[in-house]
Amino acid sequence: MTDAPVPGGRMTVAVDSRNPVVRIRTRPQFSTRSLALILTTGIVSYLVLVPLVMLLYASVKSTEDKLPFESRVTTVGNYVAVFTSPAMLPIFLDTFIFTVGSLALGVPAAILLAWLLERTAIPARAWIASLILVPMTIPSLLSAIAWIQLLDPRIGLVNVIFRGATRSSSDTGPFDIYTLTGMCFVQGLRLVPSAYLMIAASFRAMDPSLEEQSAMAGQNVARTTLRVTLPIMRPALLAALIYFIIVVIESFDIPGLLGFSARIRVLSTAIYWATHSEVGLPDYGLASALGAIILVVALILMWIYRRLTLHQERFATVTGKGYRPRQVNLGPWTMPATVFCWVYVFMAVLLPFAMLVWTSMQPFYAPPSAESLRRATLEGYLNIWQDGSVVRALSNTLVLALVTSVATILLALLVSWFVVRQRPTGASMANYLATVSFLPQCVPSIVIGLALIFVYVRFPIPIYGTLWIIALAMTTRYLAFSSRATTASLIQVHGELEEASQMAGAPWMRTLRRITMPLLAPAMINVFLWVAVHAMQELSMALMLYTPDTVVISTMIWSMWQNGRTADASVLGVVLILLSALLLLGAQAIASRRSARHS
Amino acid sequence: MIRVRNLEKTFAGLKGEVRALCGVSFEVRKGELFTLLGPSGCGKTTTLRCIAGLEQPAGGEISIDDRIVSSAENGIFIAPEKRRIGMVFQSYAIWPHMTVFQNVAYPLAGQDRVADRVMAILERLSLGHVADRLAPNLSGGQQQRVALARALVAQPEVLLLDEPLSNLDAKLREQMRFELRSLQESFQITTVYVTHDQEEALALSDCVGLMHEGTLLEVGAPRNLYLHPEHRVTAAFLGAANFIAASVERHREPSGEALAVTTPLGIFVARASAEWQPSLPAELFFRPEYVDLLDKDAIRDGPNYGAGTVERVTFLGNSADVIIRSGEVLVKARAHPARLPTVGRKVTFFVAPDHCILFPAERAG
Repeated sequence: MTDAPVPGGRMTVAVDSRNPVVRIRTRPQFSTRSLALILTTGIVSYLVLVPLVMLLYASVKSTEDKLPFESRVTTVGNYVAVFTSPAMLPIFLDTFIFTVGSLALGVPAAILLAWLLERTAIPARAWIASLILVPMTIPSLLSAIAWIQLLDPRIGLVNVIFRGATRSSSDTGPFDIYTLTGMCFVQGLRLVPSAYLMIAASFRAMDPSLEEQSAMAGQNVARTTLRVTLPIMRPALLAALIYFIIVVIESFDIPGLLGFSARIRVLSTAIYWATHSEVGLPDYGLASALGAIILVVALILMWIYRRLTLHQERFATVTGKGYRPRQVNLGPWTMPATVFCWVYVFMAVLLPFAMLVWTSMQPFYAPPSAESLRRATLEGYLNIWQDGSVVRALSNTLVLALVTSVATILLALLVSWFVVRQRPTGASMANYLATVSFLPQCVPSIVIGLALIFVYVRFPIPIYGTLWIIALAMTTRYLAFSSRATTASLIQVHGELEEASQMAGAPWMRTLRRITMPLLAPAMINVFLWVAVHAMQELSMALMLYTPDTVVISTMIWSMWQNGRTADASVLGVVLILLSALLLLGAQAIASRRSARHS
Repeated sequence: MIRVRNLEKTFAGLKGEVRALCGVSFEVRKGELFTLLGPSGCGKTTTLRCIAGLEQPAGGEISIDDRIVSSAENGIFIAPEKRRIGMVFQSYAIWPHMTVFQNVAYPLAGQDRVADRVMAILERLSLGHVADRLAPNLSGGQQQRVALARALVAQPEVLLLDEPLSNLDAKLREQMRFELRSLQESFQITTVYVTHDQEEALALSDCVGLMHEGTLLEVGAPRNLYLHPEHRVTAAFLGAANFIAASVERHREPSGEALAVTTPLGIFVARASAEWQPSLPAELFFRPEYVDLLDKDAIRDGPNYGAGTVERVTFLGNSADVIIRSGEVLVKARAHPARLPTVGRKVTFFVAPDHCILFPAERAG
């Protein structure tokens, strides 16, 4: 018997008597989830696509003395101006030099550090490895300020000491931070921590037996590294390189501060100065054409990056084996290698931070000396709060960080839930969500800021000039990273854990709240903090969108610096760094408490 | 009571749609344990998930206790959380962030006497002493019982078990098999059990349904299915089997149900299976344990006798596999460990007609 007998008559009766009841009971549950899907898709599309469309629209509008919306003339004039104006050529050239120079400094340094810390037996590796990451908590705005204080041709500490040591009679030089070289130097130093993280990860992922095989074949360390290790890692290194090209092109703080007085402009700062011109009216048409160009470049680079990282899986050398690779003994090179590591730590971490702290304790800027040491005071930390706008900036920053991180994490959670769990049933919807939510990764912050001006300056939703527009910009920008991170974690959560909750009678929302979110808590806390710290330190979006009412700490530091309030800027900078550090330490505490509870 | 009628399910595959279920129909009576048995990919878990509501069928109808929970044709689909079904997943899906108590109390949200009911079921499953432990700190067997307790605590009408024993080691699996059965009997709960382990299916079930490539091939009581399979796939899947090429002599008329067939071993009287048709090339099926090994001097009289040389003996502890060569044909037999034949000896054997079944030969390729 292949078919169990099913009495059809009785079944029909059952259909007729139960049908209406059944339909009514089905509906409410079904719609919570669909409603969430529709809302998530709608919000993500709105956040990401509308600004981009507006940007492209604005870039083909003639905007002499007008906002893009007021103009009825469609033109390619903005693009023609970008490519033919003699003022533009240096911008493209400087962007190119700035990018190449920063990468040429930062990426090799990161590779060397990663190799030293992952593959050699140099002393105090654990210390160096954690100190390397510290600059990530220092906003690049403050790196730039610290290095100005160190390398300003006239009053920079290093220059003063150097002139004293060489008994130079000149009152400037020899180093000048306000040059392309200076910009590349500071930007290159800043790339190291994140490049190190990425490269060290691929060192760790590599099967050490591949290297050991070369050693067994009688090759020495140098040949093994050059002939085996680096070629195997080439796709990963190339991907990292492309990723950091985007990072440098997007970088605003460092070229903004260092290139300001010397009028060295790169694409990102050119967009800012086109809309915040000191002399003329803002040229939104030019700014949006530049934005569109930068966007296209970033999109192409990101496409190549994705291609490379897909390719990378073919080279996947990850093995489940937990053993550490053989550690190379550097012999006579141990000393120089150790010195190299500590010089980096000193230059990237200790020196700038010490300089900021020093400046923050001086009533007016003076290089360290016996005399100025006597003037050192913490009064700056007390007096600064008498400025009402500083208090407002602090509370705005905290509100902004909180709102942005909560909004981002919730949206990211929903996006990744639909991307991961809906893929079997609604593949096209899941792919759409995954793609659109990742798109902001290649939209530079300054471009998002610019685009949101266009969207909201005349839009019926009255958020222009409020804190909400900045939060919206940041949520859009950080959605890419956040949703990727939560997606990666959700994949690790077995679907049966959620299904078990459904079978236990829990509707979708309850399952999400009681099962999915607690299980994702570690990842969600990490993403939450990542977004909160970034939102607190972010400058370019805030700078494009803030008003005196919605000033935040980063824009406050920026304007203090432009107005020569060096000490105040340093005080606020130290406060901002301490706030970030406090947040991260708090997270560590939560994380270790949680893991203690579970063991 | 569960009724499944003409269940259809398709999945989007790389090359268009893949039919996971092609018209599966069966019925599970109240309080019965029904097992869906089959190799991986046969559709048994998909069927179970359709009953649970975790998959939405493309066609067909499912009803539980005369309540239609899913009917593609009538546009009815009740969400899984409204179906009052208890389910144990293959991974157990114990929530690691909750204690055993919290895990088991979860289905009782918003109900009365939660603590009493949870503790009662925990005691019943000898889990009372681990109530406050976090789930990851439990042994495999304990996790399995927590999953069972959680599935049963809300007194569902139906219990679904998806390969619940596959993650346990052999000893524990056997023990849990009996515990599961006695629990199911004492709760009198209608149960659908999915497994790929035929021994488990035969030992546990009131009724076994064998699935193959998205269809439910054959349904029956374990003993019936094992001894009198109607399909070649069933015969081959449920334990060891001999298939010997056979031809039906035209001049020998079938007497009743039985047919006389000629095989390289001699003439055998066998029963024709439902699948067999006179026009198809045939194969004779019998199980090794029904091969009676006789002394070489035993009287051979009539059909269903064969003879050969013992080619290999594999000692298995509680029994021994014996391979007998008869010309080109190898016959598998099973011997009691106390009476092992010696290799190279000539033996005669007998297979009772009741245990000989005629199937169509497997198509080449």
